[in-house]
Amino acid sequence: MSDETYLDLSDLTLAYGKTVAVDRLNLSIRKGELIALLGPSGCGKTTTMRAITGLLRPASGTITLDGADITHVPANRRHVGLVFQSYALFPHLTVFENVAFGLRLKKLPTAEINQRVEAGLAMVGLSKFHSRKPAELSGGQQQRVALARSLVMQPKVLLLDEPLSNLDARLRLEMRTELQRVQRESGVTMVFVTHDQNEALALADRIVVMKEGVIEQIGSPEDVYNRPQSRFVADFVGFENIFPVENGQIVTENGRLELSGAASVNAPGLAWRPNMVSLGNGRFEGEVLGAAFAGGSREYLLMSPLGPIKAEMDAAAPVFEPGSKVAFDLPPERAAVLERM
Amino acid sequence: MFQNRMEGLALALPAAVFAAIVFLVPVGILLSEGFRAEGSWTLASYAGFFESELNRTVFWRTLKLGAIVTAVSAVIGYATAYSIVTLPPTARGRLIGLVVMPLMISPVARTYAWIVILGRTGFVNETIVWLGLSDTPIRFLFTETAVFIGLLQLFLPLMILSLISALENMPRDAVPAARVLGANWLQVFVKVILPLTKEGLVIGGTLVFTGSLTAYITPAILGGSKVLMLETLLYQRVTVANDFASASIIAMILMVMSFSANLLLKRLATARNKR
Amino acid sequence: MTSRLLSYVTLTLVLIFLLGPFVIIVAAALSGGETLAFPPQGLSFKWVMKVFEVESFRASFALSMFLAIFGTLAALVLGVPVAYAASRYRLPFGETIRTIVSAPIIVPGIIVGLALLRYLVIPLDVGVGVALFIAHTALILPYAVRVVSASLDNLRSDIEEAAVILGSTRVATFFRIVLPNIQSGILAAFILGFVTSFNQVPVSLFLSGPGVRTLPIDMIWYMEITYDPSVAALAALLAFLSISIVFLAERFLGFSRYV
Repeated sequence: MSDETYLDLSDLTLAYGKTVAVDRLNLSIRKGELIALLGPSGCGKTTTMRAITGLLRPASGTITLDGADITHVPANRRHVGLVFQSYALFPHLTVFENVAFGLRLKKLPTAEINQRVEAGLAMVGLSKFHSRKPAELSGGQQQRVALARSLVMQPKVLLLDEPLSNLDARLRLEMRTELQRVQRESGVTMVFVTHDQNEALALADRIVVMKEGVIEQIGSPEDVYNRPQSRFVADFVGFENIFPVENGQIVTENGRLELSGAASVNAPGLAWRPNMVSLGNGRFEGEVLGAAFAGGSREYLLMSPLGPIKAEMDAAAPVFEPGSKVAFDLPPERAAVLERM
Repeated sequence: MFQNRMEGLALALPAAVFAAIVFLVPVGILLSEGFRAEGSWTLASYAGFFESELNRTVFWRTLKLGAIVTAVSAVIGYATAYSIVTLPPTARGRLIGLVVMPLMISPVARTYAWIVILGRTGFVNETIVWLGLSDTPIRFLFTETAVFIGLLQLFLPLMILSLISALENMPRDAVPAARVLGANWLQVFVKVILPLTKEGLVIGGTLVFTGSLTAYITPAILGGSKVLMLETLLYQRVTVANDFASASIIAMILMVMSFSANLLLKRLATARNKR
Repeated sequence: MTSRLLSYVTLTLVLIFLLGPFVIIVAAALSGGETLAFPPQGLSFKWVMKVFEVESFRASFALSMFLAIFGTLAALVLGVPVAYAASRYRLPFGETIRTIVSAPIIVPGIIVGLALLRYLVIPLDVGVGVALFIAHTALILPYAVRVVSASLDNLRSDIEEAAVILGSTRVATFFRIVLPNIQSGILAAFILGFVTSFNQVPVSLFLSGPGVRTLPIDMIWYMEITYDPSVAALAALLAFLSISIVFLAERFLGFSRYV
């Protein structure tokens, strides 16, 4: 992976009619990277993806790929590939013809087309499926045909729309491994769009978290998972206890708590995962509202001066009954420091 | 959805322009003639039209026959449709095919058959004379009855098809449930079947009614100039008397009736969906 | 069960009513006698043969065929783009366009014929044949649009986007990807248009003259002159023609899906 920017989105604004979907987005992607655009529906990730393909014209801003400005290049002349969430295979063509479609448009010699299609099908493990029609394939097989169809074009960037969402758990794992392998072997720059943080964490080199048309945070999976920078990202990756901070105190509409003396936190918010809350000893007291056994752990809902708090203890630890009072603490050194609330 | 709306417009324009020029404009002008007399806009022509007794008779006869055909086809339609939906699937499919078949045959052919049947030397009369029910052949052709029968045969399949569709969408257990609760067939029909198949009845009724109003061949062949309906009157006025004003008025009446029926249908259909 | 019996009786009576006339026409057509009667006096194919000999029938049959085939083709050439545009774009004036294109169904045919005669044929000296062609095309247009739209609505638009991303132009995509997948819809539209046009009477009433008559009009005219069974023979032949076309369509296309 080189350090140079390969795909650059600069001040990109995308709109549908009068509604702005993406607002002055800036993103630089390096060659060979695997990037995930992560966020809830409506955050603009799919819109951004469509702009990269050329299916959506930007309202303003530029898109640069491999040194060339492609902002106004029509979708059929960019060297970008897209694997649709619905796979979008051509129902009237065989698997072979589907994969060969783009190559035929380029008027390549037949021998080369055959060779590239064979290679493509082999890469996704569907060598024997030449003459089948899409309707005869399972969902997973269709997806692989769609992948081969895009890959044989040797695109500069390969985009994937929710590649794992339609699959069951077992297929998801298979496909994930498949995608990683394909990316390693071909070295293609990949951008995929997802609303599932687990997919993003497992696959991506870098994650771009988006909300309402704006980038909330960009970072490696470890960064995003352990050091969320905003309330939104913290919430998205599973920090269930997120509180604003004012003058060395945690302040919510229900009450306030002093932070432990040593730490003077200079940030607007702190966040704790349920397993970061210490139960059983601490400076504060709360009442157990509910307890649930979750296999390897036990989950608790506490009522505290701050309002409800979610905590998690190992299944082997002593049980706190609902209705009982329990001591707890929110150690600031374990918290994620949020730069924005 | 594709972004470039102008592109889409360019694709749609030829057809729209064609339809507008070739169709809307001439028809529009024709209809406007009914509102003009001696160079100014007036409703005098309409008043004049309705002053003639013949015109009034034709107008009411058309409405009357339309209504009767619709009512009778509804009754027969329900009985037939219900019988068909209670059959097993293969038989049902075949019967629907048989019901649809007449629709594919030219109305001229279908109406023509009635001449063979109802004519002075036709089947019915021959049978009646043979059975000794009458000494001389009875005149069936060129009566309102003949037109009624012809129209009924023409449009009954439409009603049957609509009702089949409506009955198939009715919850299967509604009728048995009512029967178990003690309802007789008349009550079942009025309280269960009718409300649940209202929509189909309206669709079928509109098709039959507008069809009957705007029918030409059947009234022409079976009614001739003795039993004029609005369309045959229109034809007569134009070819015999060059009376385009009357033609325009009749055209307007037919269109208003046709249009209102369609509007009513849309209104009733969406009202149903809102629930 | 008496209700079962009642069902059968009802169905039998209704079917006799609906299909009886057809049987009668066929029987009359095969009549060996000289006049139209049922039951026929003897069986013979002579009236069926006579149909092919009558000059005006041949001419009007040719005209009706021409109108049906080329009128429907014209309606499709106009209608497919409209159906595509309405299905794939959010059209400005979308509702208006839809209404205009569907209007011919609502207006009684006789009015269309009269209007065209008065404002197109006479003043602009457009030939009656041309006016007939235009009228038939206009009448079939709504059917073409409706049937093709149904087909298009069932075809996802993302395969078109996929083709574009793979390097195809919009036009090429339409011909390589969209058309092959709506083939049966177009064929169904063609058959529906053909049958509708062929059987059409009111619109052709005013737009006819000596030498320019569609087949149904010719039949009516012939009926006014003579009472011989050749009309019955013709009617029977046409009926068989219509039924076979639709039957084959249903068999090979699943025609009823589109209508």
